Amino acid sequence: MQYLDTGWFGIFVTVTIVVFVLFNIARAGKSKGEIFIRRIPGLNALDDAIGRATEMGRPVLMVPGIGSLDAVSVQAVTIFANVTKQAAQFGTPIRLCCADAAVYTLAQEVIRDVYQSQGMIERMDQNSVQFVSDRQFAFAAGVQGIILREQVAATFLLGAFYAESLIFAESANSIGAIQIAGSTQNTQTPFFIAACDYVLIGDEFYAASAYITRQPVLVGSLVGQDWGKMLIISFVVLGTILNSYEFKQPKTTQRVDTTAEVRGGNENVSSIEPYDGDPRTKTPDDTFVYRMFNPIVSPEMLTIEREKEQVEESVEPTEEEVTE
Amino acid sequence: MITNLLSLGWDVNPTDPNKWFIILGVMLAGGVGAFLLSKAPTSSRRSIIVAFTFVSGLFWVLKYLWPEPIAFREGDVPRNGIEGFGKYLTDGVPFVSTLAQTLTAFLLGLGIFSLLRVHLTKISRKQKDWQFSVILLISLVTVCFFGYWDWILFNFRMKDVLVSDDPSTWTWVNQVQDILFDGLLQNMDAAMFSLIAFFIFSAAYRAFRIRSVESSLLMVSALIVMLSLMGALTFVWNSAVLQASGGNPVHFLSNFRLDTIAGWVQSNVQVPALRALEFGVGLGALAMGLRLWLGLERGGVSQ
Repeated sequence: MQYLDTGWFGIFVTVTIVVFVLFNIARAGKSKGEIFIRRIPGLNALDDAIGRATEMGRPVLMVPGIGSLDAVSVQAVTIFANVTKQAAQFGTPIRLCCADAAVYTLAQEVIRDVYQSQGMIERMDQNSVQFVSDRQFAFAAGVQGIILREQVAATFLLGAFYAESLIFAESANSIGAIQIAGSTQNTQTPFFIAACDYVLIGDEFYAASAYITRQPVLVGSLVGQDWGKMLIISFVVLGTILNSYEFKQPKTTQRVDTTAEVRGGNENVSSIEPYDGDPRTKTPDDTFVYRMFNPIVSPEMLTIEREKEQVEESVEPTEEEVTE
Repeated sequence: MITNLLSLGWDVNPTDPNKWFIILGVMLAGGVGAFLLSKAPTSSRRSIIVAFTFVSGLFWVLKYLWPEPIAFREGDVPRNGIEGFGKYLTDGVPFVSTLAQTLTAFLLGLGIFSLLRVHLTKISRKQKDWQFSVILLISLVTVCFFGYWDWILFNFRMKDVLVSDDPSTWTWVNQVQDILFDGLLQNMDAAMFSLIAFFIFSAAYRAFRIRSVESSLLMVSALIVMLSLMGALTFVWNSAVLQASGGNPVHFLSNFRLDTIAGWVQSNVQVPALRALEFGVGLGALAMGLRLWLGLERGGVSQ
């Protein structure tokens, strides 16, 4: 749908949040004082986990989930880069297992860069970053095997996890590994809370790199996200007040959603018609908030005259021509 | 001029007599580009990555922000430049997606290389449990071999053998492939999935041990939701509530029906909390994507 006419609100909110983030990044670059970030226990425990692995001489396991290469995997690998930086300094072995070939390639490059930047490229084990399988449970079985065989001392399960999350978390729990986990999949967070020592909940996962490195760009971006949250909270509060008021008002009109044939195709259209039923208060689809997210699109708005492309008609040879 | 450029479209016309020259030209340009990239100084590496990321991201940003034509039908001519560019972007989605898939296919090769390197090293050094690595590599080669053979038989119908989904048309190759895939792999997947039931049990036992106010709340709310799903118990409880309220369904006590309490916990406690988390995750992903797209992130991935 053309959102110059309808559905502009979502675009407006997105662009506003983008402006918030960019503005705060610019602001953080100029400010001299450090911006406060609340304590995140899971990230404070990062040093302890690596220290424990170093003392025990066992590896640190990192898994960026089973998602493809997207913002979630990239964020996970960015956190793992910070974990690896510390592990490299102590000479602690690492294992980074990937389920997606693109994430594997990215992780391999990043981890190599980390060892190189620390001047310890000789400490890097070529097999420390490995592709296990792109099938969910084959990957789960492979990683579970690594956890149990190598008796890892610490696990970092950060990224997009699904049903395999509990297999990893419980296996590592059974061998007494310190576990720091976080998933962008809300359905898996309860499993991690039940089985892991520290869990990054919701957007704490995205705040991790800002929390660890305190880089102005990352911290500014975090502040921009908070402004975005405040915007959303204000919408929730305003929407609640508006809906609570409207639900007390008498219903005078009703919305009719249907499909109409427009220029040879079916389109979803809607209209507002007078309500002539029993007296009652407004229903959810009568409210201003609902209409803002589900605008009225009339058939007239969709009626646009357009020319058709000129298609060169292929002339079929006649039977006589074929015979000749 | 822009209209002329847009009219070129994303695909080569299959009937174009010059299509082979175009394909060859694109491949040559790609080869030269790859060679130049390999020779680029290390200091310029970041700039090149940022530029590529920006251009790739720009397509999707424009696709999201640019107005799409309303009620556009097959064979319609765009009315103006805005509609024309909107159509151009929409037409480009399959092309850009194919590019991403092609890249992923190459990367899968790197993944398999990693797998081979890890396990061949293990076998050659006779490290602990090296026998499992042998089994893994044999399985990999066998499944690949029969998988491709099966695919060729299905798609190219070699030696006049018409293979279809009907098992009676299968050759021994298709039978072996079926045993490997449906008979072994799927069942092993199911076995791994079933293990989760036991893991849930042990994790839930630890989580529900009453150690604090939070775990007590967790246990009570979980108990209510679980009990509400037990038909017989819900019936007995709700009957008792109905009796206590004197058979009046709008009595205040009716709020304490088991399914009503569970519904309240789910819709008024669980759902708002999940929505709040989703807002946070969405904002985080947006900010992360923005930083990557504009090359603002330093360290880690973008270094």
